Amino acid sequence: MMRILGVLALLTALYAGLVGTYLDNAPAHEPASKTQERIQGNLVDVANIQGRYGVIALGAALVIITGGIDLSIGAVVGCSAVLFGVLMQSGIHPFVAVPLVVLCGAVVGLGNGLLITQLKLQPFLVTLCGMFVYRGAARLLAGTVSRSQTIEMQPDFSSALQSVRYFLVGKNIKGELEFPAEFILLLVLAGVVGFFLHRTAYGRYWYAIGHNELAAKYAGVNVSRQRVAVYVICSALSALAGVLLFLDMPSIQSDSGGQYLELYAILGAVLGGCSLRGGEGTAVGMVLGAMVLPVLENLVSIRGLKSDVIPAVIGLTLLVGTIVDEFIRRRSRLNR
Amino acid sequence: MSRWVRVALVAVVAAGLASLPACGNNNSGKIKIAVVTNCTDPFWDLCEAGAKKAAQENDVELLFRQPERMAAEVQKPVIDAWVSQGVSGIAVSVIDPKGQTEDLTLVAKKVPLVTMDNDAPDSGRICYVGVDNKEAGRAVGRLVKKILPNGGTIALFIGSTTSANGQARPAGVLEELATPEANGTRAKHPLRPELEGKYYGKYFLVDGESKTDDGLKERAVTNARDMLNRVDGVPDLCFVGLYAYNPPAILEAVRARSLVGKVKIVGFDENPETLKSITSGDIEGTVVQDPYNYGYKSVEILAAEVKGDRSKRLKGSAAYQVITKDGGPEQDINGLRIKFPKAVDYERTVRDQLKSVGK
Repeated sequence: MMRILGVLALLTALYAGLVGTYLDNAPAHEPASKTQERIQGNLVDVANIQGRYGVIALGAALVIITGGIDLSIGAVVGCSAVLFGVLMQSGIHPFVAVPLVVLCGAVVGLGNGLLITQLKLQPFLVTLCGMFVYRGAARLLAGTVSRSQTIEMQPDFSSALQSVRYFLVGKNIKGELEFPAEFILLLVLAGVVGFFLHRTAYGRYWYAIGHNELAAKYAGVNVSRQRVAVYVICSALSALAGVLLFLDMPSIQSDSGGQYLELYAILGAVLGGCSLRGGEGTAVGMVLGAMVLPVLENLVSIRGLKSDVIPAVIGLTLLVGTIVDEFIRRRSRLNR
Repeated sequence: MSRWVRVALVAVVAAGLASLPACGNNNSGKIKIAVVTNCTDPFWDLCEAGAKKAAQENDVELLFRQPERMAAEVQKPVIDAWVSQGVSGIAVSVIDPKGQTEDLTLVAKKVPLVTMDNDAPDSGRICYVGVDNKEAGRAVGRLVKKILPNGGTIALFIGSTTSANGQARPAGVLEELATPEANGTRAKHPLRPELEGKYYGKYFLVDGESKTDDGLKERAVTNARDMLNRVDGVPDLCFVGLYAYNPPAILEAVRARSLVGKVKIVGFDENPETLKSITSGDIEGTVVQDPYNYGYKSVEILAAEVKGDRSKRLKGSAAYQVITKDGGPEQDINGLRIKFPKAVDYERTVRDQLKSVGK
């Protein structure tokens, strides 16, 4: 519980700042209902991005709980987005392409997991190499992919692609954002992950491996199989995030789509209470942790900060959040 | 795993790597001309199409490379490797004019160097192939004036404001809009006093600066979206996207807010999405640099230079083009012959050019 108090405090402060900025800035003649409508519209926008970050944060968090790390997330997201476009352009129906892309992601995770467990390679190195490989694979697949280009080449897929887009991203045929579908997807996935993590033996295996791999092994846990499983889940979720990215963005460039997302995912997981040493973390924390960065980015741009100061402000805010978090945790430990 | 298996694995990988260069290196004995861009982008695919055409016409072998990131440290090894391999001429899209001048001077001493798209005037290059970004920015400013003749609120979006074109384009736009009385005058928005900004003529620039996204397309969309939230309800809005991906990113955000048509969009470069949206009326217009011509001219100049022919060198800047839905007649503007093609026609030209490089 204590582990999520800090991130909860940070989020509350950010949301309060966001709403406060809107209320402060509301034109004098504007009715309150209109201001509220604008605030809601903005929060829905932000929630959609939080959803996408959250999906990859869940995967990153599971890997981190078992004491591993996955640096290939961003590249897998980019590669999957490109693959999704290329598959559809080559005539594969969107309804088939989505699971196919997620399956490809799972295969990537299987590869990572086997290299790490069977060849006993460092997760950092395997996934760092993976980062280059999958980025390269994306560039080999195509330069740029986009929805409009796909529909142009496969006009029959137009309505199917549109319904996939509506249900996964929440944008209607005109591109209007109707509801934060990506956030809802995150909540569903977090529910599933939470169930496995907190209510089944798998979760206990994962925590045990993160705490003390050797002890878990002697206790009879098939450590290799469990570690492979979390890498598979992580990469499959990244692939799903690639599909979301494709559906949400006007176009995806193979060299930069999804760039830096692995860092955002790890940030979300760690802010949400996962320890990089392994063995700690909760599903609720993962969701909360992933929500921080999008709302922070939104807040600094809504306030009209100079572009040049934005990165420093974001970094410092996160740092202060971490310090507060640590402070709360220490006090709670003293009181125990 | 036994030691021998590991050794064998390493050996296999090493053998695989050793056989790699054999795939990409077919020595034709022709003169080699190299072109190095600043990053990977569909823009450079068009340039490659032009370069390829010129290479065929001049019977030279073309080496064309789009580095993965827009960073001088990524570009330099590519240039050095090719120069040391003995290319007869090289064209470079300079990323950091000041920082790279020293290295490029060394290159220019060894082989003829053409700078394209972005110049490094003190590098000893034989000439520069590219539009004057400030002039092109002024053309964007003229589009804004045409769309909002009575003034209005504008926002600028761009990848970075540190590169030369990232400085020149916004500067050109604002110079065109400014009047002697109002040239960057600080003010609060008349309808929304919480919005600070600057007046350039009758146009209020929100925040008084361009909003940057560091080349991240995802952030380009969120920047536009955040701006839409801030200026919600303000009439006579025009969003200007100054890097190729910015206009589609703005349109994406405008669509998500159901504001298509209410918020005017003016762009830069020939992103296929931008051209299509101009035809459909969702984007008002764009100013293009004709990258096909960059590639064509650069290779033509270098091929001639190898033969001792200096007549192909360009004097002055290349002409930009202004694309709108309905197009217009050619005009002479500031000493350049400017074309005003229709978006539909220009889109077809671009598609044909891309086809020639298999994209």
